Amino acid sequence: MYLLLESIQDVRLFLERGGDVLIPIMLLILGMWILIIERAVYFRFGFPRLAAHLRDRWEARGERQSWRAHQVRKALVTESSMSLFRGLDVIKTLIAICPLLGLLGTVTGMMEVFDVMAFVGNGNVRAMAEGISKATIPTMSGMVGALTGVFFIALLERRAKLQQTHLEDALTFDH
Amino acid sequence: MIPLRSIAAAALALAAVFPAQAQDGKPADSVRELLNLVEQGVARDASDFRSRMETFKAEKDKQEARLSEARRQLRDLESRSEKLESEFQGNEESLAEAEARLDERLGTLRELFGVLQQVAGDARGTFQASMITSQYPERDDFLKQLIEKAGSSSELPEMAELERLWFEMQREMAESAKVVRYPAEVTGPDGNKSETEVVRVGSFNVMKNAAYLDWEADTQQLVELPRQPSGRFLASVDDFVNADSGQVEPLFVDPSRGSILGLLIQTPDLAERIDQGGIVGYVILALGGLALLLALERLVTLNLVNMKVRRQLNSDEPDEGNPLGRIMATYRKYESTDNETLELKLGEAIANETPKLQRFLALLKIIAVVAPLLGLLGTVTGMINTFQVITLFGTGDPKLMAGGISQALVTTVLGLCVAVPTVLMHTLVQGRAKAVTQILQKRSIGIIAEHSEQGHVSAA
Repeated sequence: MYLLLESIQDVRLFLERGGDVLIPIMLLILGMWILIIERAVYFRFGFPRLAAHLRDRWEARGERQSWRAHQVRKALVTESSMSLFRGLDVIKTLIAICPLLGLLGTVTGMMEVFDVMAFVGNGNVRAMAEGISKATIPTMSGMVGALTGVFFIALLERRAKLQQTHLEDALTFDH
Repeated sequence: MIPLRSIAAAALALAAVFPAQAQDGKPADSVRELLNLVEQGVARDASDFRSRMETFKAEKDKQEARLSEARRQLRDLESRSEKLESEFQGNEESLAEAEARLDERLGTLRELFGVLQQVAGDARGTFQASMITSQYPERDDFLKQLIEKAGSSSELPEMAELERLWFEMQREMAESAKVVRYPAEVTGPDGNKSETEVVRVGSFNVMKNAAYLDWEADTQQLVELPRQPSGRFLASVDDFVNADSGQVEPLFVDPSRGSILGLLIQTPDLAERIDQGGIVGYVILALGGLALLLALERLVTLNLVNMKVRRQLNSDEPDEGNPLGRIMATYRKYESTDNETLELKLGEAIANETPKLQRFLALLKIIAVVAPLLGLLGTVTGMINTFQVITLFGTGDPKLMAGGISQALVTTVLGLCVAVPTVLMHTLVQGRAKAVTQILQKRSIGIIAEHSEQGHVSAA
């Protein structure tokens, strides 16, 4: 319990030092991870059910070699790929936005530094320190968020392609 | 006969002329009269001259009497001046004597008054800068008089005044530990003065209802800050000012005695910040607005199309109002032809539909890419301004460079602020468009095939 309180306090301090931009970055990373986990769970539990359903529909057909059958198979594969790749683009965008927001934090932090310089001159380094921490922490956070995301999005994409190929293999034209 | 007559006539004529002449001019008479006149004039001048001589002589006697009178007066005054001078000398001597006696008797007291003057001066400076003066404005006059008295040689400060100095210094200390409420004159941001009840926290802050006040030492006035800090700071002021005595309320106190709050006025607000970005900043904002409008239009349209397409998926009757329905209609039309023609016609129908779905997507993407680039442009122009200032004035004063630097940073911020949401919106819109296109491109034929198959089955 005490440890939890202490870590909450740490997070709050970190947010305070990094300035307002850290909050959108935090929400962004949170949303990104929710989406990543959702995808992982779907690949593990949701998609096999859909794949089985599609397979059954294919197996239920009488003939599987005519032009119409080919079109129907294509439709089934597309349906599977639509649900497999749903949300991956959003995750990718969020990853791309992370460093942008970090940069935004850097610039607003630098503005604060220059404001301080305009008021008290450039002799007072201590007064500028707050702005500098607001400039550097968001950049770091954006980078960390983007890097973790990049790694997992690669895994997810590979997994999605693999699942689709498996399904395509399963929808055979003939037995 | 004739000449005689003529001479007589001429003589008559002459005779007629001459008497006339003698009657008018009378030359012999006038000369005589002139002589008489001159004679009379000479006699008159002589008598005038005589009388003038007499008056002149009388005047001369009078002037001489006056001159001797004046000389006598001069002698009198000179003797008086000598007397006064000697008296002055005597006074001077006695004054020096008295001063020497005063010095002797003052002794160490003179040093004491020097210190008193210095302390009173220091105290006056402190008091003038202190917010407590807003509650006791009369003490400045007292200190001013005391300083003058201690500095002058003709007057000595009295015991009561010395005690009051001590009292005022003690009061400053005691008041800086108190939270008090009192009426004071407050100058509003519009320059109007009004008597308001204010609350003072030690020597740190003075506030009135919902506003922090600033103590201006130069004009000795309580001034309402034209720009107040953000809501949560002001809310605490409100609660604090309206609290009952004995009630405990949290409050944000400015430990720098008003200078941090004073800086608040100098920090630009949002509109001023945006204005610092200059033309580039406004261009970026306009692009952002355009992107927002486009994205909204796309989202609404695509959602409607998506709904219609999904409804169409569940019905066999092609409806011309949506893309899938139109493709289905094409299929119906060419159903009886061979597969190749059918496929070509369907492909054509799909190719007709996709551009409508993907309209503005490229534009959105361009805005997302261009906005940070424009920000960069603003940054570079701002830096150019800064370097121009540096070439003109050197690097000594960072305040001069602040304008260019603000522009440089503000445009970057604006660029990013526009780019981030635009990228997000582009992704959203693209996702929608992609979903519909995928249905059209890949699934439509399959769906149509399935439908018609079912139709065949039921027909068979």
